[in-house]
Parts: sequence; C-alpha cells; structure tokens
Amino acid sequence: MELKRTKSTEKGILKKEISRRDFIKTTAMGAAGLGIGSWLTVPFTYGAEPPIRIGMFNEYSVFATEYGYWMGKVAKTAVAKMNAEGGIAGRKIELFDYDTKCDPKWAASMFRKMVLEDKVDMVMGSIHSGVQKACFPLAEEYKVPLFSGGAMTYEFTGKDAIPYYIRNHSHARSQALAGWKWAFDNLGKKWTFLNADYAWGHSLAREFGTLIKAAGGKTQDIFAPPATADFIPYLQKVDPDTEVLFTAFLGTAALGVLRQTVEIGLHKRLQRYTVICCTEGIGQEVVGKESIGAYYIEYHPRHLDQVPKELHPYEMAYRKACGVDENGKEIGNPKVTIAGSHMYSMWIYPYQIKLAIEQTGWKNRNNNADMIRAIRSQKLKAGPWCPIGDLVMREQDHQGFSDFYISKVEPDLKLKVIERVPKEKVMYPPETDLTKKI
Amino acid sequence: MISNISIALMNGIVWGLIMALIALGLNLIFGLLHVINMAHGALYMLGAVAAWYLIELTGSFWIALIIAPLFVGIVGIMIERGLIRTIEDKPIITIICTFGIMLVIQELVLMIFGGAPRRIDSPITQRFPIFELQYPAMRIMIAFISIILMSGLWIFLKKTKYGLWMRAVVQDREMAVGLGIPVTKVYMWTFAVGSALAAFSGVLAAPIVSVEFMMGREVLIMAFIIVIVGGMGNLAGSVVAAVLISLIQGVGSIFVSPSMAMVFSLAILIIVLLVRPQGLFGE
Repeated sequence: MELKRTKSTEKGILKKEISRRDFIKTTAMGAAGLGIGSWLTVPFTYGAEPPIRIGMFNEYSVFATEYGYWMGKVAKTAVAKMNAEGGIAGRKIELFDYDTKCDPKWAASMFRKMVLEDKVDMVMGSIHSGVQKACFPLAEEYKVPLFSGGAMTYEFTGKDAIPYYIRNHSHARSQALAGWKWAFDNLGKKWTFLNADYAWGHSLAREFGTLIKAAGGKTQDIFAPPATADFIPYLQKVDPDTEVLFTAFLGTAALGVLRQTVEIGLHKRLQRYTVICCTEGIGQEVVGKESIGAYYIEYHPRHLDQVPKELHPYEMAYRKACGVDENGKEIGNPKVTIAGSHMYSMWIYPYQIKLAIEQTGWKNRNNNADMIRAIRSQKLKAGPWCPIGDLVMREQDHQGFSDFYISKVEPDLKLKVIERVPKEKVMYPPETDLTKKI
Repeated sequence: MISNISIALMNGIVWGLIMALIALGLNLIFGLLHVINMAHGALYMLGAVAAWYLIELTGSFWIALIIAPLFVGIVGIMIERGLIRTIEDKPIITIICTFGIMLVIQELVLMIFGGAPRRIDSPITQRFPIFELQYPAMRIMIAFISIILMSGLWIFLKKTKYGLWMRAVVQDREMAVGLGIPVTKVYMWTFAVGSALAAFSGVLAAPIVSVEFMMGREVLIMAFIIVIVGGMGNLAGSVVAAVLISLIQGVGSIFVSPSMAMVFSLAILIIVLLVRPQGLFGE
C-alpha cells in the first residue's frame, strides 16, 4: 500500500493525512504508554476489588482543634503509607474526612452520611465523648464499627459498651489506675480535684478519688465551668491542708489554672498533678514557666529521648512519616506541638483493620462482625505500626491497654519521664462481656 | 476567711472593670447605631490575637496594648462601612450579619493562628501578699488601665466635638442631620471606638486567660448580661452593672460553689428583665 504523505509544515498538523497503519501504530503505542504509566504509578488497577472505605471525623473547628489537626494528619499519613505499600489485601483504602464541629447531633448526621452516602465500611476518630455516644445507636443500627479517636469516658468500654465500638487507647479509669499510686506514695495523701464541670472532669475526680480514699487518703472536689477564665474564686476554696492539687481542663482553661495557681502562690504549698490531655497539642513553652514542677500522666512521651530505648526505631520512623521532630514539634512549623498521647490511635487503627481483614478474609460491610472479633483479640507487638510498645486488646470490652508514663516538667520546660507504668497495672476486671453479643 | 473575702472583693472589682470595658463597647454601638453586635466577642478575641503577633514582633506588651486596638478599630471601620451601613435600619438583619462576621473572624483566626491556645506573658510579675495567699500586681494594673480608658471615653464623650456629635445623634438623629452633623461619620467612628474597646479588653485579659480563637464566646454572653442589667445604651449603667455582677460572683463563691455564684448573676438578669426591663439604671 502506498503511503501518501503531505508536509505538515505546509498544511498544518490537522490536515495531515494519516494511514490506517499509522493510526493503529500510534493508538497502540499510546494505549501501551498509558497502561504502563498507570501501572507504574498506581498499585491498584482497573478491575481490582473496590476500595475499602473508611470514614473519619475529628474536631477541626469550634473546640479541641489542636487534637483534630493531629488526629486527621496522622490518619491520612497512615492510610497513604498503607496504600503505598499495597493497601489491604490488595485493595486501596479511601478515607472520607469530616468535621464533628464538637456537636454530637451534627456528628451523628455525618456518621449517617458516611454510612449511607459515602458507603463507608467503618468509621474512626473524634476525642469527643458526646460525639461518640451520639453515634452508638447508628453504629449498632448499621453494624458499622466505630473506632474511638480519643474519647476518655471509661463507661464506653464498661457498662455502656456496644459490640461495634473499639478503643485502643487510655481512658479515665486506666489513667487513674496508672497515676494514683505513684502520686499517693510520692506527692501526698490529701488531694483536691479542681476539674471541669462535665463528664470528663467528674469521671477523673471519681476514678482517682475512689482509689485515694480506699487507700486512706482524703479528697476534696471542686468543679468549675469548662471555659473558666478566672480561677481565683475556685483556687481560694482549696483546703489549706491539700498536698496534691489535681486539675483537669482543656484549652485556655488548662493554661489558666496552672498559671493562676502560681499567681496566687498556691504552688509553694502543694504539688500539681494533671493528665496530658489538658495541654495536648500545646507546647510547654506556651503553658509557661508556671508549669515547672508540675506532674503529668502521659500515655506516650512527647519527647523522643523520653521514649523507651527499645521503641526508638519505630518511634523515629513514625515521627518522620508524620512530620514530627524529636521535641514533639511539627517539622517546619515549630509553634505546632503534637497531640502525642492521643494521635497514635489513628496510626494503629489502620494496621489493626489490615490485620483483621487479612486474617478473616473480610470482603465488605457484611463481614464486619468477623473483623471486630479479630480486632478485639489482637495482641500487637511493638513495631513500625505500633510505636507505643505492645498493645493488648481485651475481647470482653474491646478495650486496648498499653504502657503509661508519669512525667515532671523540668526547668527547661521538658516533660521528663520519671516513672513508666506497665499496662498490666492498669488492667482492671472487665465490666461487660461483648463476646456474648457478637 | 478575711483573706478570702479580701481577694474576692479585689478580684471582683478587677474582673468587673475588664468586663465593663467590653460591655461599654457593646453598649456604645447599641446606643448609637441600635446594632446588637454579635461580633463583639470576636473583636475582643481579635485584639488578643493581634497583640500576640505584635508581642512576637516587638517583644513589648505595651506597644501591643496601643497598636492592637488601633488595628481592631480599623477592622471595625471596615465592618461598619462595608456591611453594617447597608443594613443599619434592619435590626434582625444586623444581628444575623454580625453573627456571620463573628463566624468569619473566628474561622480566619483558626486558619491563620491555629486552634491551640497561645500565651502572652504578663509584663508585671510581682505579687503582693494577702494573708496566706498572694494577689498578682498585673491584675491591679489592668484595673487601673481600665479606669483610665473609661475616664478617657467619658472625656471624649463629654468634652470633644465628636463626643458632642455622638450624644446629639443618640438624642435625635434627624435633628443632628438637620444641624449638619456628619451622622455617617459619627456612626463609623462609634463602631471603631466600640471595636477598639473590645480589643483593649482582649489585650488586657490575655496575660490572665491566654489567647484562643474561641475566647470571645463566653465573654460575649456576660457582656450582654451586663448591658441588659445596666440598661441598654446607658454607659455608666454598664460599668456599675459589670462591677456589681463580678462582686456578687466573687463574694458569693466564698459561701457557695463558684458555679452557683454564676447562677446568681443569671438570676439577677431574669429578675431585672421581669421587674425593670429597661435595666437597673434605665436606657
């Protein structure tokens, strides 16, 4: 066949006459190029199984945004890393991200949207107990697992537990079990709790208080509105013989209570003790020199050199992936501090889900019960996907247990670990048995 | 007990004066423009945030105390010129509009400043003893600055041409226009002064409460209570109501729980609304 060619320079490229052979050759090359290109860049090809859809909601506005920022960032990093490593059982993970607005009603509507419109297979995130509680009926109705981001109400894996709720992190009871004995022996036996006047503050006062009183100590409870600005009226009411002042507030109130304790000179006559939740995501330099000498219960150390040596390789890789430096600051933005004692939950959940799916052969939402049964019996060893050390899930209540740390604020404002509390010490008897329900 | 009462009294007056400053700005705007400014708490927060940036830049709290309110005053001018002026005769729309402005300011600050609270160091760290406790000298300084600012506002309203114009517009807008008073300019400056007062309070309160994008929310509610109790549009009433409510809360908290003392102030609001809806000191 004779090829009839014209000079494109003369007639323009669109006028060029193309033979059938040219057409087939060019098209085939293009198709091959596209195919190879997409094969090289995307590990998931056309015809593969549909992606695993994970819904996520966090506190990105209104309140506790320092938590939401890190929970979201860590989850996205974990999912991207897992996808880059081939996904779960060869399937890509898709993340659907929403804001809870700290509003249980709104968050429940987002949960429903994720399930019905985004067709997610499971939902994770949120540190807000009210948000999680509002989603319990939906999780049960749709049989969609809800993985707690950082809710601290212990009853969620206690008397209020539901089969579709999983929590791999600490809560008020485990914090009390981890933190009371050392402080009782070393800081004092007469405690005053000055806590936020809502479920979390009451829960901590109750859990710690029960243990202190049972050991022969004395307690006083003072509750203040969560957004209190001026603490002097409350600090005035602290009993003169108080040896330990335990405070639990979030945001500016957490800073305010620490600073104002020093302003009126109370810090000279008592020890200050709190949980890291109060100043998570807030640099100690922001809390200020007034925090020097205060004791914190941490669930994972903020500073790399305070992390147990055997965990360093995993911790360093985890921090590098999430863009965190050795002082717990965001790389490139040192004014942003990590929510290090909370955000690990969002790193570990994708791994727990992956293990469970690969173990059970999970295909879709219909197999969620199998996945839950697998997750709740997991005993994770420290590793790249579990940088906090060994994590033990308990079958009866779907609660996870890992080590705790008691830290003291040093004069250089560093949180120095002075006691590591093994997870075995915080494992209280389960209050429910979900194995009979699912 | 004596030390507790002394601290409660002192603290009640200090907080009362800070709150008075916020409520004054709110009341000034309402008195003249009849605008219920829902963004007032956000302007208070904006003042504190601007001060934080200025202190980062200059290292001086006192420079921030001057420049941050000026900045927020300019923001106030932009709000008045750009938005309020077009809807000033529609009270419901102005409430919705200022509520929207509040959300916009909060979200912008969240985007730029971040969600975590930040600290402003107190420029005065001395404390003086009151029996077995101590009281920070900075709070006393804040009270003095508040008194100076309120006195300045009083002089401005009573002794300057603009103050005279403002009072004239409050009394009779049409007559003021007829007499050649530039009413639109008066409105603009009133909104600017009201916004700047909110910012002053934000800067003064920041060393005590820390800076956060939501810090204006609680303050706004209390400011509204003070304005209603003191009388809407009555500036002196606002000052007295602010100090009175803070004192009741402070002294009350010695005898009952501080949360219950807060309930007292709400009870006062309800009683005033029922018995004297025009406020304790009239409109």
